[in-house]
Amino acid sequence: MSGGPGRSGEYRITGNRRKWAALAVLTLAAAGLLSPWASDRPDGLERVAEDLGFVGREAAVPAFSPMPDYEVAGIPWEAARTGLAGLIGAVVLGVVLWSMLRALVKKER
Amino acid sequence: MHIPDGYLCTEVWTATSVAGAAAAACALRRTRTELSRPQVPAAALTGAFIFAAQMLNFPIDGGTSGHFLGSALAAILFGPWTAAAIMTAVLILQSVLFHDGGITALGANILCTAVIGSFAGYGVYKAALRLMKGRLRAVASFAAAWVSIVAAACGVALLLALSGAAAPGAVLGAMFGWHALIGIGEGLITTAAALCLTERGTMRARSDGSFRDGARVRGGAPA
Repeated sequence: MSGGPGRSGEYRITGNRRKWAALAVLTLAAAGLLSPWASDRPDGLERVAEDLGFVGREAAVPAFSPMPDYEVAGIPWEAARTGLAGLIGAVVLGVVLWSMLRALVKKER
Repeated sequence: MHIPDGYLCTEVWTATSVAGAAAAACALRRTRTELSRPQVPAAALTGAFIFAAQMLNFPIDGGTSGHFLGSALAAILFGPWTAAAIMTAVLILQSVLFHDGGITALGANILCTAVIGSFAGYGVYKAALRLMKGRLRAVASFAAAWVSIVAAACGVALLLALSGAAAPGAVLGAMFGWHALIGIGEGLITTAAALCLTERGTMRARSDGSFRDGARVRGGAPA
């Protein structure tokens, strides 16, 4: 699997920090700036549910999510509601994954 | 492609919740050995990128949209178990914070996108590389991504059919058809990201897995 001995010709993730920094910038831009302008047409599954007539089965089990539909409540501008929700989600996920994986993957030796 | 609450019948969502929890636990356990410590920041960042990219629905033909899934990308970069763990974290966050994907359907969503998506993507990627003797990685990545999202969609279709939401043939055909189209976008994004974020294995030791294989000289070439 990945992370085997360093045979040349074997591909692995890049050690180029600039590329990862670029991915971080791209992530924040996508979550914070681009997300409000994403298409709001139904996605593949929603479309199939409409076409085959089972969209009505959807039942919201107690809606306790703090930011339903990727919107932070209480902000007058819709793009900011979505963009802020995206930023919060991306940052929370990054932090949670980092700490979870760090705890999981032990230091060598 | 997040199944909301209500689409699945009680038997199906109960069974998939149990199976999904077991799969998630197994993925976490296997991630311990599959992922190496220096890869942790990159894996966390990839998870955040996948979440952000999933928000960007792109319009496709016929008044429908698609969005990036990411299972294949994570599997190509870090291996299938780590990918399953990352995707599970994405799904839990989306369901709990954003009400995207039902809580009762979380297990089903984990099975389809995190497990099926990651392993289908990884299997196709490895098989294609072997078939083409390591050449044409772009083709291998594209194929892995396309198969990954289509396989996940077929898994969802199967669960919907089992739940009596729609006739098996109709729902399978419709899910396959739309996601075969969405899979082109999935393939393009995955290929671009995978080619950009990987390199040949003779580079610096900092971000490679060969630390554990004895060659732990700082800055030295891996054995």
